[in-house]
Amino acid sequence: MTQGLFDAFYLPPEVERDAETSVQRFGPPHDAIELRLATVTPASIETWVEAIRSARAERLARRPAAEIHRVLERVAQRFLDPQSPVRRNAIAWLARSGRFSTPMIERALTDTFGPLAAGGVSRWVASELGSAAALDRPTPDRKGIPRQACGPEWMLQIYAGNVPGLPVWPFYSALAMKSALFAKASSQEPVIAPLLARTIAEEDEDLGACIVVAWWKGGTIELDRAAVRRAPAVLAFGGENSTMSIARETRPDAKVVIHGSKVSVAYISSASLTRAGLGSLAARAAFDVALYDQQGCLSPHAFYVERGGDVGPAAFASALGGALESLRDGLPRSEPEASQAARVQLYRAQAHFEEATGSRGTQVLASSEGTDWTLVYEDGARFEPTPSYRTVRVHAVDGVEEVEAALAPAARFIEAIGLEAKGRERTALAAALAAMGVPRIAPLGALQSPSLVGTHGGVHRLLPFLRWTTVETGPRSAGPRPHRPKRKPGRSR
Amino acid sequence: MTASDIPGTGPMREMEADLARFISAAGWEEPAAQARGAEAAFSDLAIRSFRIQCDTIPEYGAYARHVGRGPGGLGDWREIPPVPSSAFKEHGLSAARVGDGGTSGGAAPASPTVTFETSGTTITRPGRVHLTSTHLYETSLLKSFTRHLLPDGARLKMIIFGPTRAESPRSSLWFMADRVAARLCDAPSWIVEHGEPRWERADAELARSLDGRVPVLLLGTTLLLRAYVERCDRRGLCFALPPGSRAMDTGGAKGTRVELRPDDMAASIHRVFGIPRTHLVNEYGMAEMGSQFYEDTLLAAHERRPARRGFVIPPWVRTRVLDPETMLDLPEGRPGLLVHYDLANLDVPLAIQTEDVGAAAGNRLTLEGRLPEAERRGCSLPFEQFLERERGARAERAPGVPR
Repeated sequence: MTQGLFDAFYLPPEVERDAETSVQRFGPPHDAIELRLATVTPASIETWVEAIRSARAERLARRPAAEIHRVLERVAQRFLDPQSPVRRNAIAWLARSGRFSTPMIERALTDTFGPLAAGGVSRWVASELGSAAALDRPTPDRKGIPRQACGPEWMLQIYAGNVPGLPVWPFYSALAMKSALFAKASSQEPVIAPLLARTIAEEDEDLGACIVVAWWKGGTIELDRAAVRRAPAVLAFGGENSTMSIARETRPDAKVVIHGSKVSVAYISSASLTRAGLGSLAARAAFDVALYDQQGCLSPHAFYVERGGDVGPAAFASALGGALESLRDGLPRSEPEASQAARVQLYRAQAHFEEATGSRGTQVLASSEGTDWTLVYEDGARFEPTPSYRTVRVHAVDGVEEVEAALAPAARFIEAIGLEAKGRERTALAAALAAMGVPRIAPLGALQSPSLVGTHGGVHRLLPFLRWTTVETGPRSAGPRPHRPKRKPGRSR
Repeated sequence: MTASDIPGTGPMREMEADLARFISAAGWEEPAAQARGAEAAFSDLAIRSFRIQCDTIPEYGAYARHVGRGPGGLGDWREIPPVPSSAFKEHGLSAARVGDGGTSGGAAPASPTVTFETSGTTITRPGRVHLTSTHLYETSLLKSFTRHLLPDGARLKMIIFGPTRAESPRSSLWFMADRVAARLCDAPSWIVEHGEPRWERADAELARSLDGRVPVLLLGTTLLLRAYVERCDRRGLCFALPPGSRAMDTGGAKGTRVELRPDDMAASIHRVFGIPRTHLVNEYGMAEMGSQFYEDTLLAAHERRPARRGFVIPPWVRTRVLDPETMLDLPEGRPGLLVHYDLANLDVPLAIQTEDVGAAAGNRLTLEGRLPEAERRGCSLPFEQFLERERGARAERAPGVPR
């Protein structure tokens, strides 16, 4: 199934006929796959944008939103169904592109498409807009005022390749609000966006006519410019350097959302550290670390563990190490590039150095072989992202104040905090952590499965791109009120 | 520690003299062709030096013992435990300590003659390298530089695309330029002043070289040279410098936002300065090491043979290439994690574990480039970026690559 070429682009049939393509090798030299790519020039970008704009006007803008949402839900179902060729093809090609192990890819597809199937898109849209019908006509909002939401004519989306499935909800967000979509795929994960586009087109030709997926080398200024300068809406993922240059080029009136680089951490209260619960807690924590090999912004890099529980922070560290070791087989890691593994080794050697010479009680736990996982335990809170690939720090702390102080300078880099605590304590801890402006607080073990009803990076997925029309009815009687001088009491005769 | 072990005294200086003799006498043949005796001499010196370092650099000694490779019972230089380059960050990994007044012997250690700041690895903040003596550093530098930049014995006017040592006292690179200027070249001029590049000064110096038919040696960071070349391109400036002119660039695009292809750089240098690829020598070095690695382009041209790929490993340096997963030695030519053993390091550990990836074959070292971060990662915060911000202010003060 994965022999031969992969078409790492998608163009609507009418423009595909005239497009030139070329084949490029992708991945490590010894195990490269061949990708067919559409040749992108400033002129072709213009042509493609015109094509999806006019397709949107003719085939998308006036369709009932609910109908579009149902198409998208059916597509999600096809990516979920274990028997579906679409899912099998996606898994095979994602595995061939070599960034993640097959169990991880299966998990990613299930986690990503699960919330979008079976009414998921409608629920998501309703959670942000009140009602999907607001995309079709003025519809009374909660206060009874008729309002209509209009998505941008088209959206430029620029993806990162760190986690498989990243392009999915952005893709859905554009089409769900009846916007055409120009997607720039990531060179690290060139598979899912074109597969998704093709599946949508199979399911619904009219939607397929409104999508372009292309790739060009990031930082190719004339191409970036040709796309970004025209776009009425831009949603971009990536490091600060690349996204800053995108932000500079956008139209002044463009709706722009940029998701920069972030990491997550976790906090465990002493009350949650019981002998009986330790195994399950460590397993959930290990799962959050292992899933996507800490390539995503929802991966925890540090665990802040309160002292004084039934079991101490060191026992938690040791249980977490055990759980990470068992995930070597349970959820295999993808092999890091040599330079990544070299960083992990340097990080380990540095931790051993601190173990030998430092005053923070540092202890290093590591996989029995290779760089599969590394855990550095130490006293006191501090924040420093690790080199990933299942490298974590466990800090023994006295309370949340210590963690707040350590995280404060880096708070804007933190996407989520996994919080393990119960009842009133959980409420109080969540309040303290929320006060730092961290967008998401979630239970351990669920860090990697954000709800679509929530936000990404603290920003909604549809609302930032919508323009609203409010239909005012004005006061009941038309025209200004006639002036009636009040009679003052006592003056009446 | 006894008074006789204090840096600047007794065994330390004796060791230094032995190391300096070895470096001065070392031949540049491929290791296979080297006499077995030279290999044994390297190993003996390395082990002796390591034993001294275990005493004079207590943190290093503690680390060596912690990883089960203490000073006793070593049979081969490969058993010397490399210190992670990141450990220079918070630890006094030098025999000389600033502000470390009294010692058990009552005599104060000699005050350091230089303190270099490391650029930091991608996982750490900058560290410090203190040297009580720059004797070994200079012995290594002058021997390597002469061979790879001045094989014809030329004495050239030098134009440094960087600041003076006085303006950038913590940079090992500008210390190196200063030493080369003082010892091997004539009439040096510096293009960076008060943290600003004075491009007009370069224009004038190059014009003078052109008028007087005087060949020059340009030395700078890849980034500064590139910035100047781009400015020349914008203004339509180019200088057909007299034959014999040459350039050394270093640093590549490390820690920056631009991607540099060595071929593009060579083409630019040729276009703007008229310096051919044979006369452009790239250098790889780090503040943590007293020795540097050079390309042999110019040497090869001088010897009328084709240049070999990569950098030359000096005969007083050994580079091991390890499988980054298993930390075992890889067969020749296979890329892996680099660990350097440098006999020019006495005040700091001689064995350094880097995060650089490359391959070695014979006395050749090739480095592997990295993907630009923006391409590689998405929403996960790369810690290099996190630390780059912390470093940002410093980097802006001192142009080029601090090391």
